[in-house]
Amino acid sequence: MAKGTPSINTNNLTAVQLMELDACTRCGECENWCPTYDATDKLPGISPRGKIKRWKEYMSKSHGLMASLFGPKQISDEEIQQFNDDLFQCTTCGVCGTVCEAGINTIELWESLRANLVKRGNGPYGKQSMFPKLIKEYHNPYMKDQASRLDWVPEDVTISDNSEIVYFTGCTAGYNQQILALATARVLTKLDVEFSMLGEDEWCCGSALVRTGQQHLEDTPREAARHNVDALKAKGAKKVLFACAGCFRAAKVDWPRLLNEELPFEVVHVTQFLADMIDKGKIKWEETINKTVTYHDPCHLGRHVGVYDEPRKVLQNIPGITFVEMDRIKDEQRCCGAGGGVKAGIPDLALGVATSRVTDAIKTKADILASACPFCRRNLSDGKDKLGADVEVEDVIVLTAKALGLSVE
Amino acid sequence: MSMEYFSGFTDALRITFVQMMIIAIIAIVIFLYGMILNMRKWGLGSTGYGLEPSSGSAMVFLKTLIAQIRSKGHGQPFLTTLVLDILLQRRILRRSPLRWFMHITMFVGWMALFIISLIMFAFEVLELIGFDANPAALRDMVSVPNDVFSYILLVGVIIAIIRRLFMTNVRENTIAYDSVLLVGLTLIVVTGFISDGIRNGTFWGLGLDYATAPPAALFHVVISLLFCIAYIPYSKYMHMLATPLTILANKGGE
Ligand code: HEM
Ligand code: SF4
Ligand code: SF4
Repeated sequence: MAKGTPSINTNNLTAVQLMELDACTRCGECENWCPTYDATDKLPGISPRGKIKRWKEYMSKSHGLMASLFGPKQISDEEIQQFNDDLFQCTTCGVCGTVCEAGINTIELWESLRANLVKRGNGPYGKQSMFPKLIKEYHNPYMKDQASRLDWVPEDVTISDNSEIVYFTGCTAGYNQQILALATARVLTKLDVEFSMLGEDEWCCGSALVRTGQQHLEDTPREAARHNVDALKAKGAKKVLFACAGCFRAAKVDWPRLLNEELPFEVVHVTQFLADMIDKGKIKWEETINKTVTYHDPCHLGRHVGVYDEPRKVLQNIPGITFVEMDRIKDEQRCCGAGGGVKAGIPDLALGVATSRVTDAIKTKADILASACPFCRRNLSDGKDKLGADVEVEDVIVLTAKALGLSVE
Repeated sequence: MSMEYFSGFTDALRITFVQMMIIAIIAIVIFLYGMILNMRKWGLGSTGYGLEPSSGSAMVFLKTLIAQIRSKGHGQPFLTTLVLDILLQRRILRRSPLRWFMHITMFVGWMALFIISLIMFAFEVLELIGFDANPAALRDMVSVPNDVFSYILLVGVIIAIIRRLFMTNVRENTIAYDSVLLVGLTLIVVTGFISDGIRNGTFWGLGLDYATAPPAALFHVVISLLFCIAYIPYSKYMHMLATPLTILANKGGE
């Protein structure tokens, strides 16, 4: 009796995720927190609750009771395309999942829906479609030469060939925000930490592909994860340090899942490493930073993995710093707006969210808005410039370097 | 042994047990059919992240669900989730104490009434098959708790209705999917009070003649069974099962 084929399929959605669509009680809590919904003046399509409702309806039209009795009801291509475009206006920050009264794992749901729609031919959005080709070909999204990965390394930094500690720079810090790589390398050197780096053998962590539902395209993230894990193993890594929250999340959560194995080393964010050094009394500060500082939790470090206290500990330990908290912190943090491919795909939206976050910081009267991720740093700086705000945006590692008397030039 | 039900009535005015059984069975069949359809729909999903979609069988869904609930990984222990996040509904409490109060009263009221009804039903069956279960005595015993839990449920429903009617933001976002649930619950509580009121000649009887008691009771039973059991898989009621299962699958949630 079935007429036609269903307009949508269930590619990439797990059976439990399909149930989650029916678990939404429409309490609306997610809407109160969603940073992109807020920054677009509550564009209805972007609402997390609204997206769940729509996909639930599509499921019912395609595979529900009536569909099984009388054949699926068609959904127009325009409608599905619109859904896709709305779905990509999301930074995968995950606050909707934290506050969800029904406990829905929304980050995974959004990423699965994205993969489904990429496979269907609707996704991703705008420039995000360049990621797979670039990352496959160049092993970084910025079309840079792999051989220049370590060009920024100054003479006063010694990089071992092999060591138990390896610093994974990440493409953004390695090519575009080298101040972060420089600060990290100098801090490690100052603290007498022997470390090595992958250099040419460091491939993009694949985060941008997983977040935008493109992990299946030519299997690039899995290949990259395999390559990186093997290269790190070859260096003798026991502990791999990350100063980029995006790479950190990818290594901690995505790599083991892509490879279906446990990693043979510990994945550590540099702020965790520093907090540990502080506990062990191994840090002797040399400078005072007489500033009021507030801290923005990167989604990928905080909510996605649960590292909240260590970056705060480092900041509070630096002499001179008066630490203040802003609204919406830790698991209830407001995203900076850069994640989930939004900075590349929908820069205006990223900027809109960033200005909201910088406004949160301004309200605390802080001199410095600190974070621990190159994406947050970049996007919050853009937000600050847009507002013409009198607040400095800086990374915890740069502040650490300065307090250790190091130059980051 | 007469096939009587609701022992409080005189011989001439009674709902027969057969009537009850038929409605109950119909309700359960509709419920099961809907549940199987839902589970088959969910069973179209894969058994894990990034895997191929499945055939659409209820078993695939159940296996995936159980595997996810039992899997290791971050999250809290099963019992903690069951007690704090499902029975005490901590996730709602964290967000809004008022909505928590509204919901916990609906949840406790509904569950208690459901369990009391089940026990009463079981006693009727026992009596029928020859045990000396004395359903009439049980009826008297549970009449107070029945009343209490009905009022508890009513409190929650009234708060929910007021929210949906008078809070602009909530009202604007209300769709039929939401309101049908509240209208239905209201109908059940009110018909319950009325049929009880007629029988006992109290305020809730609205001065109706005692002769209207059996049809009123029958009406209440029919809509309760149809609305509270049969309708579950086809409505927002589905959240009664899907929400706790989601919370368990995600080990308490993020
Ligand atoms: C006896 C079982 C239950 C009944 C009768 C029931 C009834 C309801 C009703 C009528 C609503 C809609 C209220 C409104 O938005 O106006 C609702 C919402 C909700 N239910 Fe249930 N429910 C039950 C079980 C559960 C369980 C076990 C959970 C999960 C632990 C749950 C979680 C929720 C949530 C999160 C909402 C949204 C509340 C809000 O708007 O803040 N429910 N429920
Ligand atoms: S993940 Fe963040 S941006 Fe995306 S829908 Fe949820 S709250 Fe909004
Ligand atoms: S918070 Fe969760 S249950 Fe509430 S509307 Fe959003 S997705 Fe649905």
